[in-house]
Amino acid sequence: MKGKTNFFTLLMMVVLIGLLTACSNDSSNTNEDGEWTGKITIWDGPRWAQEGDDSGEDGEGNKYFWLEEKIEEFEAEHEGVEIELVQVPWAELPDKLGVNIAGQSWPDIAPVDISGSAVSIEHIEQGVIESVDEFFTEEELADFYDNALEAYTHEDKLYGVPNSITVHSMLLNLDLFEEAGVTPPENGEWTWEEFVDAAEQLTFDRDGDGETDVYGFSTYILEGYYEAWPFFYINGGQPLSDDLSEFTFDDPEAIEAIQQLADLKLEKEVAPVSMGGADVGGTFQAWANEEQRTVAMQPWATWAITAAQTSYPTNFMVANYPTGSTGEPVTLGGVGGWTMFHQEDEGKKAVVAEFIKHISSTDEQYRMSKEYGVFPALISAAEMDPYADNPEMARALEMSEQVVMLPRHTEWKKIDEVIQRELQLVFNGEKTAAEAMEAAKPEVESLLE
Amino acid sequence: MKGSKASMTMNKNKGTWYLMKKNYAAYLFLLPKLVLFTTFIAIPVVWAFILSFQEYKIMGGNDWVWLANYTDVFKSEAFKKALMNTTIYTLVTVPFNVITALIAASLIHSLGRFAQSFFRAAFYLPTVASMVIIAMVWRWMYNYEFGLFNYVIGWFGFESVNWLGQSNTALWAIIIMQMLIPFGVGIILYLASMSSISESLYEAATIDGANAFQKWVKITIPMLKPSTVYLVLLSTIGSFQVFTQIILMTGGGPGYATETIVHLIYKTGFRDFEFGLAAAQSVVLFFIILVISIIQYRALRHDE
Repeated sequence: MKGKTNFFTLLMMVVLIGLLTACSNDSSNTNEDGEWTGKITIWDGPRWAQEGDDSGEDGEGNKYFWLEEKIEEFEAEHEGVEIELVQVPWAELPDKLGVNIAGQSWPDIAPVDISGSAVSIEHIEQGVIESVDEFFTEEELADFYDNALEAYTHEDKLYGVPNSITVHSMLLNLDLFEEAGVTPPENGEWTWEEFVDAAEQLTFDRDGDGETDVYGFSTYILEGYYEAWPFFYINGGQPLSDDLSEFTFDDPEAIEAIQQLADLKLEKEVAPVSMGGADVGGTFQAWANEEQRTVAMQPWATWAITAAQTSYPTNFMVANYPTGSTGEPVTLGGVGGWTMFHQEDEGKKAVVAEFIKHISSTDEQYRMSKEYGVFPALISAAEMDPYADNPEMARALEMSEQVVMLPRHTEWKKIDEVIQRELQLVFNGEKTAAEAMEAAKPEVESLLE
Repeated sequence: MKGSKASMTMNKNKGTWYLMKKNYAAYLFLLPKLVLFTTFIAIPVVWAFILSFQEYKIMGGNDWVWLANYTDVFKSEAFKKALMNTTIYTLVTVPFNVITALIAASLIHSLGRFAQSFFRAAFYLPTVASMVIIAMVWRWMYNYEFGLFNYVIGWFGFESVNWLGQSNTALWAIIIMQMLIPFGVGIILYLASMSSISESLYEAATIDGANAFQKWVKITIPMLKPSTVYLVLLSTIGSFQVFTQIILMTGGGPGYATETIVHLIYKTGFRDFEFGLAAAQSVVLFFIILVISIIQYRALRHDE
C-alpha cells in the first residue's frame, strides 16, 4: 500500500514540475530602475553576408550577421534584456507566421507589412498587432516618406515601423539585346509599341534548328505577387474603384491591357508557354541563370537588382514598364518594416519599441539600402545617397515616383485570389480577359459587400 | 423491481471500480498514451467540431454562428470544385494503386527469396521518401521547357505539353504522378497476406486442373479480401486528404483546376484565418470519408 502511495506521489510531482516548467517559460521582471527585463523574440529572414564570408553549407555566408550585431549592441546597453533571433527563410515566413498567429504564439517582432501577406487589417482590428505611435515624436515621423507611413497606417494609427521601400521594374538583359541587335530604351523609357517591337526582335532561334531559343519577355501570375500587374494599369485600369466599392478590372482599359499582355504569348509568340504560370523560381532562373538566360526582359521587385549584381552576375539595365494610352509610366511598390505583436506588459512594449527603433535608424536604413537592395523609408537615409555607386538601383529609385499602391481592403487576400486565378486562365488561353474578368466580378463584388 | 435494478447498477459500478483498482498497473501503463491521445486527437477533434459553429477570433471571444459556416461551405463554388477534383483523384488513383499493388505483389511472391527482398525494398523505397522531394522532382519532370516528359514525347514527334499550366491537364498530371509512385504499403501488406495462404488450397486446385491464372483469381484474390478492404479504406482516406502535391506543384491552379479539399481547408484556416469555416469544411470532409468508408467496408465485406 505504501509502495502505491509513493508511486502516486512521485507521479504527481513529475506532472507538477512539468506544468511549472511550462508556465515559467516567459518569465520577466522589472529591475531596480523600473526598466523591464526579460526575453524578446524577433523573427527575420536572410539578408546579406559580410564581404568575404563564405561560411555555411551553401558557402553564402551568415546572412543574419547584421541583426546579430544589433542584438548584441542592444543587449549590452540594456542589462537583463535577452533577444532571441529566430531565423526563418523568407518564403516560409508568411505560412509560419500564420500558423503561429493562429496558435497565439507569435514573436514580439517580425518583418512583415500589414497589406495582407501574413498580417492583415483584420489582425489589427482583433488586437494582434500593437500600435507604435506613442514611441515616435512628430519630428521622427516627419522623416519617413508619406507613402511608407501610409502603408503601415490604419484608422490614423501607425502599426509598424517602415524600414524599406521596393518598386517593381523591368530588368533587361543587355547581352541578349546586343546579340539580337536591339537598342535598349533610352533612359529606360518606352511605349507599349516600342516594348512589343523589342520583344519581337528579342525572340530568336540562336542555333538555326527551327526552335526558339530566346524569348523577348516572360512573367508569372500567382496570388500575392504583382510583377505583371503594372502592365494592367498602363491604360488607366485598376482592380477596384478608389472608394473600394466596385470591381473595375472589367473596365475596357483594364481588359485591353490584360489581353495585350497575354497575347504576347498567345498571338505574337514572343513569350514562352510557361509565361503566366505559377513558377516564380523557374521564371527568374530563365532570366538570371547563366546556364539558361532564355528570356531577355522580365519585371521584378527591387531584390532582383541586387541578385543580378551579386548571386547571378548579369549585364543588365533597369527600365520603366512601358507606357500605355495614359502616356504615364506606372509601377507597383511595396513597403517593408517591423511589426510589433500583441504585448501584455507595457514595460516590455516600450523595450520592444526601442529595439525596433534601434534597428530602423537612419544609419541602419542607409546600410540596408547599400547592402540589401531596398530603398530607405527614411528621407534622411535617402539623402545620404546610398546609390552613388549603383546606377541600376538609382534608376529604380527614380521609379518610386510612378508607384501606385494596391487597394487596402480587409478582404484583399480573397479578392486577389479570385483575380489571379482568372488571370492564370487568360494567360494559358482558356479564357479571354473579358470572360475572365466577367467571371471574377460577382465573386469580387460579394467580397466587397 | 426498481430497487433490484439500482442494486445491480451499484454492483456493476462497484465491479468496474474493483476491476480498475485490481488492474491499476495496466491503466498506468495506458495512461501516457491516453493522455497523448486525449490532448492531441480527442480534444482537437471535439474543439474543431465546436469551432465549426463559431466565428473564430484570434484574441478570444468567438461568436456563435451555428450553421452559418456550413451554409457557406455548401454555397462555396471553390468547395464544390475542390470536392469534384478530390473525388476524381480518388476514383482514379485508389483502384489503380490497389490493383497494381496486388499484381506487383503477386509477381514478386512467385520469385526467389533474394529477388523478393530486392523488389520489396525497391517498391517500398518511395513510401519512405518525403512527398515534398517527390513532388519537386515531378514538378521538374513536368516542366514545359526542360522537363523529362516533354523531352521524351518530343522523340515521338509530339508537341510539348504545359502539363501543370493547363486546366485540362494539371489535375491529370497530379493523378498520373500518384499512379506511378508504387503503392509500397500495399505491396508489403499483400506479400505478407499471401504468405499466410495455405499451400493445400493451391495443391487441391492443381489436382482439379486449375491453371496459374485460375488459381490467382479463385484462391489468391478472395483470400486477400481482408487486406484489400483495409488497403482500399486506407488509400481512400489518404486520397481525400491529398495536399502536399497540390501546394508544391500547382497551388490549386490554374484557376481552380487542382484545388482539393484539404488545400482549401489549409487556405481558409491559415491564410484567411477563418478557422470556424475551416473547421466546418473539415467536419464535412470527415463525414464524407466516414460515409464512403462505411459503404466501401460493407460492399467489400458483404459476403463474409
